[in-house]
Amino acid sequence: MMEQRELEKRLDECIGLVVGPRLSWDPVNQAMIRHWCDAMGDENPQYTDPDFAANSVAGRVVAPPTMIQAWTMAGYTGRFPPGSKGLPAGANSHFDLLTEAGFVSVVAVNCDQEYLQPVYLGDQVSFTTMLESVSERKQTALGEGYFTNELYLFYNQHQQKLVEMRFRLLRFNPPA
Amino acid sequence: MQSLRFTDITEGQALPPLDIDVSTTLIVATALASRDYQNVHHDRDQAIELGSKDIFMNILTTNGFVGRFVTDWTGPEAVLKRVNIRLGVPNYAGDKMTLTGAVSAKRVENNECLVDIDVVGKNSLGNHVSGQVVVSVPASA
Repeated sequence: MMEQRELEKRLDECIGLVVGPRLSWDPVNQAMIRHWCDAMGDENPQYTDPDFAANSVAGRVVAPPTMIQAWTMAGYTGRFPPGSKGLPAGANSHFDLLTEAGFVSVVAVNCDQEYLQPVYLGDQVSFTTMLESVSERKQTALGEGYFTNELYLFYNQHQQKLVEMRFRLLRFNPPA
Repeated sequence: MQSLRFTDITEGQALPPLDIDVSTTLIVATALASRDYQNVHHDRDQAIELGSKDIFMNILTTNGFVGRFVTDWTGPEAVLKRVNIRLGVPNYAGDKMTLTGAVSAKRVENNECLVDIDVVGKNSLGNHVSGQVVVSVPASA
């Protein structure tokens, strides 16, 4: 297993690397919005009723803001659409480094989404991720581990920023 | 469908609670609607093998319910500006989550009427989610 100092040095090298952009398989569409609203029991007509939406401030249907990640999920095959980019060449993934070092378990701690622009039908959503910081090694109730803070930025086809999301995870090594 | 105006809202005002029946079907339906195919959100055997007591709700769905909880109250003319959540105990299949919340502040920024709301979603194990939502509402009728 990787020595602690070596791991932390390699994790530091991951900070600030932009991963992506990763694209979406389909443009923002009414069918996926309806499916989401149906499952969530969300009857907001701004998302599904073109007549209501035409007379709203937005002037047209918008996707539920909280749905932003659904557009760019890799899906069942785990593949991102053609044209998507991953890590810069030669760079390590902090996620893989932590897994290799034995911090195999993951639990989400915080998710902070700021909605900057409406998401309209037909929008082509893409996103990038960037590791902002890694905590020191900490003893937690779940085990020993590291907190990672990642910045997700979602864009439309006009390169307007739609959503800024900060995601904090605990990667830990569960006690045997 | 009625929408609340900025003038209708007061600091400290409580939102109507929202009960979510966290069934196996709901967990699977919402995971698929968010295109999240991780096994812990649909495969009970695998979830148990990985140390959970059952399948559990994914985070995208928690975000969705927190947003819905607020816009069910404001009505459809409000616009979500921010959902900032802290995640706690899982929403396992068979549990019930009750979302409650109250207005913590009102403010006007860049001509937008903003309302800050503190939200908690509690199930039988404790707090599944807690956090803040910011929503922009129409100024007046």
